[in-house]
Amino acid sequence: MRIFRVFVLLSMATAALLQGQNSPAAVTSPAGAGAVASTVPNLPPAPAPRLPDGKPDFSGIWFGGGPVGDLELGLAKGDTIPMLPSARKIMEARQSKDDPEANCLPTGIPRTAPYPWTFATAPGRLYILFEGNIHSYRQIFMDGRAHPADPNPTWYGHSVGHWEGDTLVVDTVGFNDRFWFDFRGHPHTEKLHTVERYTRKDFGTLVNEITIDDPGAYSKPFRVTFNARLMPKGEIMEYICQENNQDVSHIKGPAGRP
Amino acid sequence: MIRGLTVGMVILAAPLLAHHSFAAEYDEKKPVTLKGVVTKVEWSNPHARFYVDVKDDKGNVINWNLELASPNVLVRNGWKRNSLQVGDAVEVSGSQAKDGSNMANARAVTLSDGRKVFAGSSADGGPQP
Repeated sequence: MRIFRVFVLLSMATAALLQGQNSPAAVTSPAGAGAVASTVPNLPPAPAPRLPDGKPDFSGIWFGGGPVGDLELGLAKGDTIPMLPSARKIMEARQSKDDPEANCLPTGIPRTAPYPWTFATAPGRLYILFEGNIHSYRQIFMDGRAHPADPNPTWYGHSVGHWEGDTLVVDTVGFNDRFWFDFRGHPHTEKLHTVERYTRKDFGTLVNEITIDDPGAYSKPFRVTFNARLMPKGEIMEYICQENNQDVSHIKGPAGRP
Repeated sequence: MIRGLTVGMVILAAPLLAHHSFAAEYDEKKPVTLKGVVTKVEWSNPHARFYVDVKDDKGNVINWNLELASPNVLVRNGWKRNSLQVGDAVEVSGSQAKDGSNMANARAVTLSDGRKVFAGSSADGGPQP
């Protein structure tokens, strides 16, 4: 039965990744939806646990929490992505074979790889450890420091975090312009500034509400929301994407959905 | 019992995602069914792969390169690196690579005794909702 449960969880998480997470419909899968979805939670309808200091406990293994195939899936109903014409042109020219993730390069922010991840802490620091996303990590400074005036552009940028009530707020600047937001190739520039707001809504759900501000690619800031789901019995495992990546030379055509 | 249950669930489940766009590499409109003998298994990332010698209509032997999910996804579904071994006779169904090469994702793998391995664990984007 263990195998069964793990599989259902993975399937569930995948369905959520594919469809965005803003509505109950997000838990349905394309075929036989109800049968899978109704068994999914298997998790007690419990509140989020807390640490001895009263802060929400974000430990555990999480899956999802950002776009994979399509950034638009995170929009609230009726919202659109305010792309500048220059950004649209870049997106329309992109080819799937050039997707950094297909080439075993990092997802950047807020994109998520279809593999689990976890938080790790040290005094004044918070880390995110990724299984996929090339087995890399993010470093978030929690010691009150400011961003540097002229940060070195990187895949994950320079992140500072703080708590607002039960929500972890992570502010990041200093990105390079090399990663894509999704399989569709939504672009950005080095002017990108993200604010992620993580809230553990209940035992099994970590909501990530992301504000994307990039005057180089989008006419105004916009917000997307993606839920990460807990893999209660999961562990992160080794995943070295570069060891035998044969896909790229066979990938054809314009960037698109999964 | 567990194996049967797992296979049953696979049919109902959402497709698993890969580190690349499935539709950019494989063509759902090019379904293939291949019968042959396993010549090599690569238990490596980003996808586990196995290779099968398949005879074509003219009797020529062609070695096909078949993609599975990553070893981690396979392990989480209860499979092991020796679930499929060199010399196993298999029937594989999947979708061929868009570029027409002898490469496919392996959606279902059946051994000669009827056992199914790696069922549903191919990184198969499948029809999108």
